[in-house]
Amino acid sequence: MSINSPIAGSGLDSGGYSRRRFLETAGAAFAGSLLLKGCSINPPSVADLSPKAEAMTLSPATTPEITVVKLGYIAIAESAPLIIAKEKGFFDRHGMFDVGVSKQASWGAARDNIEIGSSGGGIDGGQWQMPMPQLISEGLITKGNRKIPMLSLAQLSTQGNGIAIASQHKGRGFTTDVSGAADYIRSMKDGGTPFKAAYTFPRVNQDFWIRYWLAAGGIDPNKDVNLIAVPAAQTVASMRTGSMDGFSTGDPWPSRILRDKRKFGFMAVLTAQIWPAHPEEYFAMREDWIRKYPKATKAILKGIMEAQIWCDDPKNRTEMMAILAQRKYFNVPSEILEGSYIGEYVMGDQFEMIKDETLAVRYWKDSRGSVSYPYKSHDRWFLTESIRWGFLPQGALAEVDRIINAVSGEKYWREAAQELGISAKDIPSTTSRGIETFFDGAEFNPESPQKYLDSLRIKSIKV
Amino acid sequence: MTTSTTRRKASGLRIGNIDLSWKNFNNNVLPPLIAIAIFLGLWEALSASGITLLPGPSSLFTDPRTLELVKYPFYDRGGIDKGMFWQTLASLQRVAISYTLAAIVGIGLGIAIGTTPILSKALDPLFLFLRTVPPLAWVPISLAALNKNEPAALFVIFITSVWPILINTAVGVKQIPQDYINVAKVIQVSNRKYFFKILLPSALPYIFTGLRVAISLAWLAIIAAEIVMSGIVGIGFFIWEAYQNNYISEVILALVWIGAVGLLLDSLMGWLQNKITRG
Repeated sequence: MSINSPIAGSGLDSGGYSRRRFLETAGAAFAGSLLLKGCSINPPSVADLSPKAEAMTLSPATTPEITVVKLGYIAIAESAPLIIAKEKGFFDRHGMFDVGVSKQASWGAARDNIEIGSSGGGIDGGQWQMPMPQLISEGLITKGNRKIPMLSLAQLSTQGNGIAIASQHKGRGFTTDVSGAADYIRSMKDGGTPFKAAYTFPRVNQDFWIRYWLAAGGIDPNKDVNLIAVPAAQTVASMRTGSMDGFSTGDPWPSRILRDKRKFGFMAVLTAQIWPAHPEEYFAMREDWIRKYPKATKAILKGIMEAQIWCDDPKNRTEMMAILAQRKYFNVPSEILEGSYIGEYVMGDQFEMIKDETLAVRYWKDSRGSVSYPYKSHDRWFLTESIRWGFLPQGALAEVDRIINAVSGEKYWREAAQELGISAKDIPSTTSRGIETFFDGAEFNPESPQKYLDSLRIKSIKV
Repeated sequence: MTTSTTRRKASGLRIGNIDLSWKNFNNNVLPPLIAIAIFLGLWEALSASGITLLPGPSSLFTDPRTLELVKYPFYDRGGIDKGMFWQTLASLQRVAISYTLAAIVGIGLGIAIGTTPILSKALDPLFLFLRTVPPLAWVPISLAALNKNEPAALFVIFITSVWPILINTAVGVKQIPQDYINVAKVIQVSNRKYFFKILLPSALPYIFTGLRVAISLAWLAIIAAEIVMSGIVGIGFFIWEAYQNNYISEVILALVWIGAVGLLLDSLMGWLQNKITRG
C-alpha cells in the first residue's frame, strides 16, 4: 500500500485525455452490453415446475392469526418437506403466505437464531437434530443456559443417514457389523493415531448413530476412538487428505463422497440398517410463538404434512429433486439426490451397488407407519441414549417424562391432521410406537428405559 | 465539468499504487500485469500437474456451475440465488454501514486518547488486547451481547475494523510537532482553531493510513458477519456456502470479486486522501 507516497501525476496531462476517452468508451460499451443482455440476465431456467397447490377456502377456525413466519433449515435431505411446502404452495394454501425458509450456516447458527427469534432477525422454528428442541428448552446448549421452551411438532423424515469410512481403511472389517474392525481400531490407538471420526453437531442424531454402531461392534466410542464435531465440508476435505477416518453423515453427502473419482471413502453402514424406520430430524418451533399463533402453527403443520405426502409420491420425485437441487437450496447437481429416494446406495469397501427401496429416505410413511407423527417414545430414546453416553446425568432419567411432555407438540399434530382430513388409520392412536429393535438385537422398550440401559454392554453413564 | 476534469488530472487515475497513464504504461502497468500472468500461470501449472488438489484459475471457466456465475453476474432467481454482483453489493452495504461507524468512533476516540495522556495510559492495554481477537471469535460474543442478528453481524465488522483507525488516529494526534503546540500556546489560538488548523491537518496522514488498513479488515470480517446472519444474500455467506459444498472454484470466483472491490475501495480512499490532504 502506498500510503506515504502522494505522488501527483506530473506527466499526466498528455495522457489525461486519451485515458478519459478510453474510460468513457469503455463505460458506454459496458452499459450497451448490459442493455443488449437485458433479456438474458438470468441463466436458462432449471426446470419447468408443475402448478402449485391451490388455495383452500379458510373458515374462521382455520384462518391463521399471522401470515409471516421464519423457519430455518440445513441443506440436507431432512429439510425437503419445508422447502417443498414453500415452493409448491402448501404453506400458501393454508393461509401462510409469507413463510421464509432460511438456510442456516450450520447447526450452531440455527441454534443461535432460534435463541434470537425472528423479532431479532433470527428464526421462529425449523429443522432440528434430536434432542435439540429438548436441550434448548432445558437451556443446556443455549447462551447463559437460558431456557427457551420449544415444542416439537412433527418428524420431518426417516433414514437417509450413514457412516462413511476413509478408503485407507479398506479391507479392515468396516461392515454393517463393525466387530471385525475392533482390534484394528484399538491398534490404531496404541499406535498413537487413534481412529478419528466426525459429525456435524455434538450430542445429537449423527453422534448417536456412530456411537451406537461402534458400541454394537464392541468398540467403546469414548475410549477407543476420537469423535469430534466438524463441518461436513471440512470432514470430507480431511478424508480426502487422509486426516479423518470416519464421518457420520446424512444424504446427500454419502453420494457426494462416492461420486468422487479418487474414491477416498466408502459407506460402511446405513442408519436404515442400524435401526430401520428410525426417527431422524424434527420440525420444532418456539413455544411462545405457538401459544401466540396456534392456528398459524397448525396451518404450517398442514403445509408440511401435505409436502411430506407429496415428497413420498414417486411421480413427483424428478420435480422434487429439481427443486431441491437449486442453488438457493441444496446447491448440488440433482442427479446425486436420486439414490437416497430409490434406495440405491454403493456400500462397503468393494463399492457394491445395492438397491433396496426399504433403505430409502421417507417423509410420510415407512414400514412402521407414520413418519410425520412425533412419537413421545422416540423422544424417550434420544434422552435415554443421552444418559447412556453421559451427556445427561443418570438422575435425568427421573426427569425424562417431564421434559418429553413439556416439549411434545403432538396435540397440534393430531389436530392439524384431523383438520386436513388425514384418514384415521394414518393417525397413530398412542404416543408410543412400542418396542424398537436394533440391528444387533438390542431392544428399547419405552416403558422401561432402565432395562435398555442395563442390557447395553458399552456405556458411560455419569451419576 | 471543467473542475472535475482538472481534479481528475491533479490526482491522477490510480489503482492501488499503480499510475494508469499511457505514458507510464511500460513502467507502471506492465510489471503488475506480467506478475499476475506469471502467478496465474504457475498456479495453473501446479493444479494441472496434480501436486495439489486446488483447481487452477481456468476452473472458473471449465466448471459449468462456476461458469454460469461468471457469465451472469446480474441474475436473480429470488431468495439467496442471485448473481455475484448482487452478492457483492449486499456485502458492500454492510461493510459501508459498519465501516462508517468504525471511522466515526475510531477517529473520535482516537483524538480523545491522543490528547488525553491519562486516557491513553488507561485504555492502551485494553485496546491492544481486544484488537487481536479474530473476527470469528467475536460472533458468539456479539450474539450473546446484542441478541439481535443484524446488529450483531454489523458489530463484528465494526469491531474488526475500528482498531487501526483508533490507534493510528491516537498516534497521529500524539505526533503533532511540539513546535506547533508551542506556537499555538504563544498566540493563544482558540480550541476550535487549534483543532481544525493544527491537530486535524497534522494527524490526517495517520488517520488515512488507519482508514485504508481498516477497509481491508472490514472485508476480512464479512464472512464471519454473514455466518451470523445465515440465509442472506452476501458474498460472505456465498463463500461459506461454497465452502460447505466444497465448490472451490466458486470460492476462487468470490475472491476475485472481493479482491476487485477491495482494490477499488482502497483506490477511492487513496484518492480521497489526496484530495483532502492537499486541500
